[in-house]
Amino acid sequence: MPSLTALRARVESSLGERLSSTLLLREKAAPLMVPTGVAALDALTGGLPRGALSEITGLASSGRTGVMLAALSGATRRDEACALVDASDNFDPASAALAGVDLERLLWVRCGQRDHSSLLKDQRPSAPSRLEQVLKVTDLLLQSGGFGMVVLDLGDMPTESVRRVPLTSWFRFRRAVEPTATVLLVVEQEPCAKTCASLVVGLRRTAICACNPASPNETEFQGWKVLSRPGPAIPPPNVVSHAALLRGMQLRAEVLRSWMQRNPLHSVGVQFELRAAQ
Amino acid sequence: MFACIYVPDFPVAAIVRAEPSLRDNAVAVLEGKPPHIQVMALNDMARLLGIEIGMTKLQAAIFTVSQEGSTVPAQPQPKKKSFEIEHGSRRGKAPRKPTAAVLRQRSPEQELSSHAALLDVAHAFTPRVEDTHSNRLLLDLDGLERLYGPVTAMARELASRVGRVGLECNIGVAANPDAAMHAACGFSGVTVLHAGEEARRLGVLPLHVLLESLDIASGCGTRISVAAREREKLREQMLDTLERWGVCDFRMLALLPEHALAARLGEVGTHLQQLARGAGTRTLALCDPPAHFEEGMELESAVETLEPLSFVLNRLLEQLCTRLEARALAVQELKLRLQLEPRVPDEQTATCAELEAARDKSFTSDCLEGNLYTRTLRLPVAMRDPKIFLKLLQLDLAAYPPGAPVCKLWITAEPARPRLAQRGLFLPVTPEAEKLEITLARINSIVGERRAGIAKMLDTHRADAFRMERFVVQTELGRSTASLTTSDTDNTPLFALRILRPARQIRVQLAEGRPAQMAMLARNGERVDLQGTVLWSAGPWRSSGDWWAEQPKSCDSSEDAQIWDREEWDVALAQDAGNDVALYRIYHDLGTGRWFADASYD
Repeated sequence: MPSLTALRARVESSLGERLSSTLLLREKAAPLMVPTGVAALDALTGGLPRGALSEITGLASSGRTGVMLAALSGATRRDEACALVDASDNFDPASAALAGVDLERLLWVRCGQRDHSSLLKDQRPSAPSRLEQVLKVTDLLLQSGGFGMVVLDLGDMPTESVRRVPLTSWFRFRRAVEPTATVLLVVEQEPCAKTCASLVVGLRRTAICACNPASPNETEFQGWKVLSRPGPAIPPPNVVSHAALLRGMQLRAEVLRSWMQRNPLHSVGVQFELRAAQ
Repeated sequence: MFACIYVPDFPVAAIVRAEPSLRDNAVAVLEGKPPHIQVMALNDMARLLGIEIGMTKLQAAIFTVSQEGSTVPAQPQPKKKSFEIEHGSRRGKAPRKPTAAVLRQRSPEQELSSHAALLDVAHAFTPRVEDTHSNRLLLDLDGLERLYGPVTAMARELASRVGRVGLECNIGVAANPDAAMHAACGFSGVTVLHAGEEARRLGVLPLHVLLESLDIASGCGTRISVAAREREKLREQMLDTLERWGVCDFRMLALLPEHALAARLGEVGTHLQQLARGAGTRTLALCDPPAHFEEGMELESAVETLEPLSFVLNRLLEQLCTRLEARALAVQELKLRLQLEPRVPDEQTATCAELEAARDKSFTSDCLEGNLYTRTLRLPVAMRDPKIFLKLLQLDLAAYPPGAPVCKLWITAEPARPRLAQRGLFLPVTPEAEKLEITLARINSIVGERRAGIAKMLDTHRADAFRMERFVVQTELGRSTASLTTSDTDNTPLFALRILRPARQIRVQLAEGRPAQMAMLARNGERVDLQGTVLWSAGPWRSSGDWWAEQPKSCDSSEDAQIWDREEWDVALAQDAGNDVALYRIYHDLGTGRWFADASYD
């Protein structure tokens, strides 16, 4: 019984003249990675892959937008043109500016409600729905090319609507972005691009941190009040409520899928914090 | 040396320039008001058919029926791609006899455009140009040999350039302007008269060529300033006199005794003899290059849909871009004016109503003054690709249709210097400006105007105050380093707000002056996703502004001043029976007494 190596050598030698690299597995070149802007996430995932689709998932107030803005901030700081397809028109330019996003380099597409003139047209049966708008606009942006990062913000779209996005759309996006250096980032509540996503990161909030006005002279961390589930809630009556301040959130990120790693490590996670702007 | 560009049968050439498919047809141009419509210009093939200038429309219409008995279609021939004229090619080529003629109404717009195109070509060739007449220009070629080579090559290059703007011309080159003009008017193709041979070469030309140029020379301010009709009468008289003497060409006039001619015809006679000998001298009355780039067309029948209009737009844009290319310019702003057919009010469609409603809100300015509908495309970078302009205009007209059939249209370009796009090898890739402009136009057609662009923060404390501006690719580097914020110095990222637009009205139950319970007032078909117990709250923070504005505007634009007076709270809301906690920013509007949730922290 010849060994596997010997068998392979025999097959290769017999076919070698006609076919080159017959049994060689063609490894795809590792994609270039760009930092997310969150050091802990970069340590966990290696960053966001260029020419691939990445997903950041999480429920409301789980830090998705903070991570998205950090990634956009990094991209605009690299002098790249970026685009944000905002499905629910939730983007806050003031937060983005505070996070370091260069708004001059960010094309913001506000889907959903249309202006006065367009509202009249929306009465026509051919007016696209919000999700159709998102898909069409994303397609146009990817086909146009030249953007360093394209972000689809589906964070406030109902999950049942996002689940209805046909898989063919995600495949088309992946095919469109593959030969380019664009990072396609989807922000949503739960993963929906299935196998088209090269990287899926799940975010979960572990604590909400607020300043405790009762002990203002204590050091920063000791002065924070942590509200975690099941959490105590309303401050005691003697606390002056307008002196309390929301300071930040503690988050846990997990890699749910990664094509960069052969075996997705569901249990691998990392803790990090998002803080409020001063 | 001087060169003259002469376009024979100019009214016909202007129409053929707009409709290149007519190039191989017999074309006659009509002028006048019914019932006195007459043929005023025609090309060689129409002459072959037997049409003459001065025929009535009815007489000329006989020639529009082909021998097979069918009327000639409007666009029977495929588009001719190259208009380049080679030396002697037209002279040797006998025009094939056409089967039928095409009649067209005279178009002053197209003649103006064609004349402007001629001027563009001439000014691109040399800055010393005399605008002699609508169909002929004189150019001073001195000092251009190092640029274009010998005179013959120069003349061919000039003919080729005129051909590129869609006009067929004759070029005459001679040592003096008048001889060059007579050569261009008298000989077809490119004619070069070397010094000393003017009299011999021009001698065979008929006298009407000389008298036509005399009128023109008079008209351009050198000698006599009389009305056109009187000049025509004078010319006919002189031609009649000379013919009675047996003088029928340049050579015979040149041989007449000078004193006897002066005694009978006066100063004009002497001047004519000088011109016939090719010995006239004068300086050129130089003109400035046209700063106005406009192409217009009057349609034979009104066009109601976008598709046929696109063909016309394409043709005009190509002509416009060719002219701009000749002057090495690009377009920064494109204005489309459509003359609409008048319609009675009850026939107006819903599209017109939409336009009226949307007029003051569009990104690009548009207006409907009387029957003139105007759309303006302002381009972020100068460009010169007719295909891109056509696509942009198509998308714009699809979004804002004129609402009535179009009978006349003009496209005006605001010229600008072409974009210099040399960038480094190691710079990040950015979207191509031309491609991006089409992408943005398509996106606008999907999401609506003012819904795609960059957000410009306004100088106010009002929440969510920004203005949407056009997205332009930034090419300069290092801009972002100037606007470093706290997040750049500290590696910890910030959490952000997600704005709820419009703010959701909520019902809030207070306990000891603080929010304790919260529920959203759902409108028809809206999801109720904001209700639960308030676990934690911080506030209130008072905020007010724009109370000094006398007339607060009620529209929803984020740019307009709106009085606000509110108390803001940050709340942690336990939803879904306490399984989910989310952070919201809510506020109490002190003006109306109502509560709203306007953002969530994420």
